[in-house]
Amino acid sequence: MTRWQRFLTIIILIVLAAVPLGAYLKLGSRVGSRTVTLRWRQFPVRYFVTDRGVDGVSAQQFQTAISRAFGKWDDVATAELSSQFAGFTQQSPEDSDDQSVLGFLNRPDQNRTLAATSFFIDTSDGRILESDIFFNSTFAWSVSESGTAGRFDIESIAVHEIGHLLGLSHSALGETELISGGRRVIAAETVMFPIAFSAGNTSDRELKADDIAGLSDIYGTSAFTRQFGSISGRVTKNGAGVIGAHVIAFNPRTQKLVGGFSLSEDGSFVIAGLEPGPHVLRAEPLDDGDIESFFDSSLGVDVNFNVKFYERVVVVPRGGGTSNIEIRVTPK
Amino acid sequence: MIARGVLLVLCLFGAVDVIHAQTPRPRPPAPTGPTPRGGSWEIGGGYTFVAGYDFDTSNADLTRNTASGTDRFTLFISDSSVQAAHAVSGQLGYYFSPRWAVEGGIRFARPVFRTELSDDAEGAPDTVAEEKLDQYLFSASVVYHFAGAGSSIVPFVAGGGGYLRELHESQELVETGAEYHASVGIKNWFGNARRRFGVRAEGGFSFRDGGFDFDEKVRVLPTFGVSLVYLF
Repeated sequence: MTRWQRFLTIIILIVLAAVPLGAYLKLGSRVGSRTVTLRWRQFPVRYFVTDRGVDGVSAQQFQTAISRAFGKWDDVATAELSSQFAGFTQQSPEDSDDQSVLGFLNRPDQNRTLAATSFFIDTSDGRILESDIFFNSTFAWSVSESGTAGRFDIESIAVHEIGHLLGLSHSALGETELISGGRRVIAAETVMFPIAFSAGNTSDRELKADDIAGLSDIYGTSAFTRQFGSISGRVTKNGAGVIGAHVIAFNPRTQKLVGGFSLSEDGSFVIAGLEPGPHVLRAEPLDDGDIESFFDSSLGVDVNFNVKFYERVVVVPRGGGTSNIEIRVTPK
Repeated sequence: MIARGVLLVLCLFGAVDVIHAQTPRPRPPAPTGPTPRGGSWEIGGGYTFVAGYDFDTSNADLTRNTASGTDRFTLFISDSSVQAAHAVSGQLGYYFSPRWAVEGGIRFARPVFRTELSDDAEGAPDTVAEEKLDQYLFSASVVYHFAGAGSSIVPFVAGGGGYLRELHESQELVETGAEYHASVGIKNWFGNARRRFGVRAEGGFSFRDGGFDFDEKVRVLPTFGVSLVYLF
């Protein structure tokens, strides 16, 4: 694959990132008429760390925090993947060099971006070939165990970005409020929420049920396939499918929340990686973040409907799925 | 219809007695002694009420951003319970002696699992979501009777254990557990024929360990049952 072809795949990825694919939102790419999930095929995922620190964080401290963040994903019992620190490098995280590099870049022009992940993929099968993560050194960072007021926690942000590196897109399990200059998170129950917690917060060091379900949906062990199940159905308004509805599955027994989206014209959704047992479903419009944080703006997301619970308890079988759910929402 | 059946059977027994009285020969000794005795059987079926139970409130909580508070952010609240159930039940008992018997039983009920969804942070209307469970109980009991053979009113106590099997509405998920029970009751036999019908009423407690539950704890549920029984 030539350099140009690889670059092209990034553009395709961005355009097609909103293809519905199982649990909440995974990154996907269309190959012909089918959709393939973006994922690593070769393990361990080897990554390099730029040999450069910033104020308050040495390169060594940065690498240690990054390793801990990778470890959080590696430790998911229902997923089969591993990562390995390959060494320090002088390479920049924005270079295309067949190496996955994580490091700081000074990007004052991106004054609302704490960090970002980029990919090179093989469009024939969705295989991730390289993925880089840059942390914007315009912001103040910390590796303190309990967090530092006014500084963003490297490990928390790294856990989020490594989720992208592994093939996850953003999740919408959170609530925000409008403040001057943008939105602020009130609360979230996924590390893959597109807006970070405030500086000094370390909550996103720990994966939530939604994150684990998404990762396991991509890299699930055979036990995961046997033991967990899914819910699929449609969200409709006046008989027509709703695009972009956020559907939450809540397990009242475990109090775990896992989200998914309806992303096709018929309003169909799938939420995978659910523990067997009864669940409650709740559909809401995607109004707690910029639509572009989740999907391409051309998707035609409908946010004009009221939040609604599904009237029946939905039981997830072990190793199977429950389908034919229809959540009928009403216009605002 | 059951009452008519009982009446008919009693009349037939009565007719046999009349025929015997009209024969000139001496009445032969009863083929057996008074029942129940060792070797007697008892079969019955009827209705059982099983109390429901509540689960602890489940909050759909999100992790709060420290900039907006320190408590958990509750997206909505879920209050769940299993409603009281009306069950059909049947049992077959074997008497080792006039006072001691063992029984095997089966009970089927369709309790409703209900969760009330409220206090949604974004204003979703309060909703009650439900599903029906298919609940089977296969049990074994030891029964002690406080009156011997030939008595028409027989108080008794019973205790035992069983296997609980519950299927969720989709019939694709089974939850199993153990059940232990203790009860007191009374049997009212009609007449004193060797084979006879009666009514049995009992109340007690069922101790559930497992099955469909949110918590790993033993639940104690009151039960009450009435059944029609036949001794032979």
